[in-house]
Amino acid sequence: MTELLKVQGLTKSYSDKGSWLNKSRTTVLDSISFTIEAHKTLAVIGETGSGKSTLARLLVGAEPASSGSIFLNGQELKSGSYKHRCQHIRMIFQDSGTTLNPSLTIKQLLDEPLKLNTSLDEKKRTELIRKTLQKVGLLGDHMNFYPHMFSGGQKQRISLARAIILQPQVIILDEALASLDPSLRSQMINLLLDLQQQMGLAYILISHNLGIIRHFSDEIMVLSLGKVIESGKTLEIMTKPQHKITQKLMMDQSFQLRAKKLKK
Amino acid sequence: MNLLDIRNLSIELIHDEENILAVDKVSLSMKEGEVRGLVGESGSGKSLLAQAIVAVLDDKWHVHADRFHWRGIDLLRLSMPERKAILSRDVAMIFQEPMACLDPTTTVGEQLAEAIDESQLSGFFWQKQQQRRSAVIKLLHKVGIKKHSECIKSYPHQLTEALCQRVMIAIALARQPILLIADEPTAAMETTNQGQVFRLLASLNQLKNMAILLISHDLENITHWTNTITVMYSGQFVEAGTTEQIFNKAMHPYTQALVDSSPMANLHLPAKSRLMTLPGSIPILQHLPIGCRLGPRCPRAQQDCVKAPSVSSFHGHKVSCHFPLLQNPKLQKASRA
Amino acid sequence: MARDKIYLEEVFPSPFMQLWLVFRKTPVAMAGFSCFIFLIILAIFGPVLAPHSPVEGQLNMPLLPPAWHANGDVSYLLGTDELGRDMLSRLMYGTSLTFGLSFIVVIISLVVGVIIGSLSALTSGLKSSFLNHFLDVILSIPSLLLAIIIVAILGPGIDNTVWAVVMVLIPQFVHITRYAVKEEFRKGYVLASRLDGASPFRILYYSIFPNIVDRIMSQATLAQSAAILDIATLGFLGLGAQIPLPEWGATLANGLDLFYIAPWTVYLPGLAILFAVVATNLVGEGIRHALKVSKER
Repeated sequence: MTELLKVQGLTKSYSDKGSWLNKSRTTVLDSISFTIEAHKTLAVIGETGSGKSTLARLLVGAEPASSGSIFLNGQELKSGSYKHRCQHIRMIFQDSGTTLNPSLTIKQLLDEPLKLNTSLDEKKRTELIRKTLQKVGLLGDHMNFYPHMFSGGQKQRISLARAIILQPQVIILDEALASLDPSLRSQMINLLLDLQQQMGLAYILISHNLGIIRHFSDEIMVLSLGKVIESGKTLEIMTKPQHKITQKLMMDQSFQLRAKKLKK
Repeated sequence: MNLLDIRNLSIELIHDEENILAVDKVSLSMKEGEVRGLVGESGSGKSLLAQAIVAVLDDKWHVHADRFHWRGIDLLRLSMPERKAILSRDVAMIFQEPMACLDPTTTVGEQLAEAIDESQLSGFFWQKQQQRRSAVIKLLHKVGIKKHSECIKSYPHQLTEALCQRVMIAIALARQPILLIADEPTAAMETTNQGQVFRLLASLNQLKNMAILLISHDLENITHWTNTITVMYSGQFVEAGTTEQIFNKAMHPYTQALVDSSPMANLHLPAKSRLMTLPGSIPILQHLPIGCRLGPRCPRAQQDCVKAPSVSSFHGHKVSCHFPLLQNPKLQKASRA
Repeated sequence: MARDKIYLEEVFPSPFMQLWLVFRKTPVAMAGFSCFIFLIILAIFGPVLAPHSPVEGQLNMPLLPPAWHANGDVSYLLGTDELGRDMLSRLMYGTSLTFGLSFIVVIISLVVGVIIGSLSALTSGLKSSFLNHFLDVILSIPSLLLAIIIVAILGPGIDNTVWAVVMVLIPQFVHITRYAVKEEFRKGYVLASRLDGASPFRILYYSIFPNIVDRIMSQATLAQSAAILDIATLGFLGLGAQIPLPEWGATLANGLDLFYIAPWTVYLPGLAILFAVVATNLVGEGIRHALKVSKER
C-alpha cells in the first residue's frame, strides 16, 4: 500500500508572551514523524498537554508549523493554503454543539465548502448534499433543518457529512466520539468503518477510550510532552507496552478489563 | 428498612398544548450502605429523577408517585418546604462539571466554610471561627487532600477537575448525609482521574456506610463499583438487579445492547468489524412512542409492545418487558403464566 | 428511502423566527413594539397627515386649550401655542424630527461602530487595541456635555446635532461588536469555515454576523432612547433645532414661559418624549428577554 500521508520532523513552539526581555519558547511538539496508508487508522494517545490537539490542528492547517513538512501523496503541503489542503485532509471536532453554525440550515452549512472549492452548479450541489446526508444515515429532507433541532449523535453525523463532502483522503477525529452515548458511539464507529471501506479513507483518531482504540485502530502512537515515545501496531502496544508512560495509560483501563475477565 | 422507596414516580412537563411524560412510572429503592448505579443514555430522565429525589425541580415539572418514602416517612403527604427540609438534611448531590459548580469568585476555603452547619459548632463567636477552620481542614483530609493549606487559599479555576470534584464531595459531606447522589461525576475527566474519584466514593461508602446513587451513561464504567444497577431508557424503567445479574444475565433487549456496546464484550470481536448496535436513535421529547418506548428500535418488538409493559420480578431481578430474554426455560414458563 | 417527510412540522424556525415567536408571546414587548411601529409611521407620514401647518400660525387663535377643555376647538385638537400654531401638527412634525432623526443617528453610528469593531476584532495586537480604544475618549465625557461642546464648535442647528449625537454613540457599538466577534471566533464553526478556505470577510458575513445581530440590536435600542433624549435636550437648550422647527424639545422650551396660562404647551411635548422613550425601551427589553429565554433552551 502506498503511503498516503507522511509527516517529517513536525515541530511547533510558541514564544512566551510574558516579558519583553526573556523571550523563552515553549515547545509543544518536538519533531514528530509518522506515515499513514489508505484504509488504515492511526490512534494518537497521551495525557492532557501532550500535544495531541496541537498535532491535529497542524495537520489540518489551522496553525502553521514552526518547522517540519507534511507530504500528501508525495506532494508537500504548504501552510496557509487552505484551498488545496481542505480537499484532502478534514477534521471532526469534539463538541458538536459549537461546530455547527446555529443560524444556517444544514443545506447552507454543507454548501459552503462546495461553493468555495468546487465549481458545481446549484442543482448538482443540492444533489451531492442529499447523497452525502443519506450516506451518513440522515434523510435528504434534513437539509432544511437548523442545527438546534438535532440530537447530539445526529450533529456528529452532520459534522461527518461536512468532512466527507469534499471526498478527502484523511480525516482527523479529535475526540469526536467522546461525548456520545455508548450506543450512538457504536453506530458512529460502524458508520466510520463503512466509509473507510467505501472511500479508502485514512483516519487519525485522537481519543482516551482504549476500548474504541483497540477495536478501531491499526497502529498507535503515544505522545508525551510533545515527543513520540512509542509507536507500533495496536495489539503489540496494548499487550506489551514498553515505555513507563504507556504502561501507566494502559494500566487503568486494562486493570478493569482483566478484572472483569477474572470475574467471569 | 429501605432508605429510599420510590414506586411508579412520574414527572410531567406542563407544556401549552399537551403534557409530556418525561419520566414514566419508574421505581427505585435503596438500602442503607448500598451503592446503586442508575444507567441511562441522554434523554433517559436519570438527571430529572435525581433532581426530583432532592426536590429541586421548578414549577413547570409535576412530580407524582404511588409511593415516595424516605426512611419510612411518607414524603408525598408533606408540603414542599417540609419535604425539602428533611431531604436537604440527609441527601447530598454532586454534579457533572465540578469546576463550573463552584463559585469562581470566592476561594475554596470560603465555600467549604459556608457549607458547614451552624449546629455543629458551639461556643462564642471567635471560638466558632476556629472550629469552622478546623472543620474545613478535617473535611479536606476526609476526601484525601493532604495539602489543605494550598487548597483552601486557591480559587476553583486554579485546581484540576479531579481536585474540584473532591472539593465538591467534601462540601457534600459537610452535612453528614446518609445518601449521596453523584450525577455523572466523572464525565469531564480522563480515565486516570475517574479511577481516583470512584475509589474515593467507594471508600466513603465502606467507612461511613453512606449509600451512593451513581448516575452514569456508561454501563461498563460503573459495574466495577456498584452493588446494584437500575437501567432507564427514555424516561421508562427498563431493568434493575445486582450488578452481576445485569451484566451477565441481562433480560431486557436494551440492557443487552448496552452490554454489547461496552468494550469488554467486544474483546472477542475481530478488530475493525462491525459492532452490534440497535438501529435508530433515542426519541426526542416531542415525538415519544406510545407504550414501550424502545418499540421502534427493538429487534424483538411485536404487536403487544404498543402497551406499556409491567414490571416482572425474578429473584429480585426486575425487568419491564413483554418478551424478556430469559436463559432459564423454567422461568420462561412462569412468566407466560 | 421510502418517505422523505417524516416529521409533521412544516415550519422550520430559524433562530430569528424563534426569537420573534418568544417576543410575540410577551404582551408588554408587543405593546411597546406596536407603539414603536406607530411612531415610525408617524415619522414618515406625519408631514402628510398633519391637519395644519406647524410653522404658520393663525394669529387670531393663540393659546387655545386642547379640545377637551371648555374653550377648546375640535379643529385644533390639542390646542395652539402663543403664535396660533396647532399643537397636534407640531407634534406630528416633531416626530419625524426627534424620533426619525434619532433612528437615523442610531443607524449611522451602528454602521460605523460595527465596521470599526469588526476591523478591530479581525486584527490583533497594537492595531486592534488602537481601533478599539481610540474613540474611548468620547466615553470619558458625559454624552450630553460632549454633544453641547460639538455643537458649540460647529454651531447650532439640527444637522450639527445629528453629527454630535452620532459621535457620542459610536464607541458603544465598537466595543460590543469587537467583544461579540471575538467571542464568536472562538467557536468551532468559525474554525471549520476558515478551514474550508473562506476569506475573513466571508466568515464575518456568513458565520459571525447572523449570530451577533441580536446583541447589536438590543444595544441599538438602548442607544436610540439615549439619542431621543439627547436630541430633545439639545433642542430644549436652544442648541439643536432652531426656530421655527417643531422639534419636541424646542417646542417644550417654547412653552416653558407660558406654563401657568397654557400648561398644555409644556406637557404635550413632554408626554410625546416620554412615549417615544418608553416604547423604545420596551422593545429593547423584549429583545433582551427573548434572547435570554432562547439561550436557556
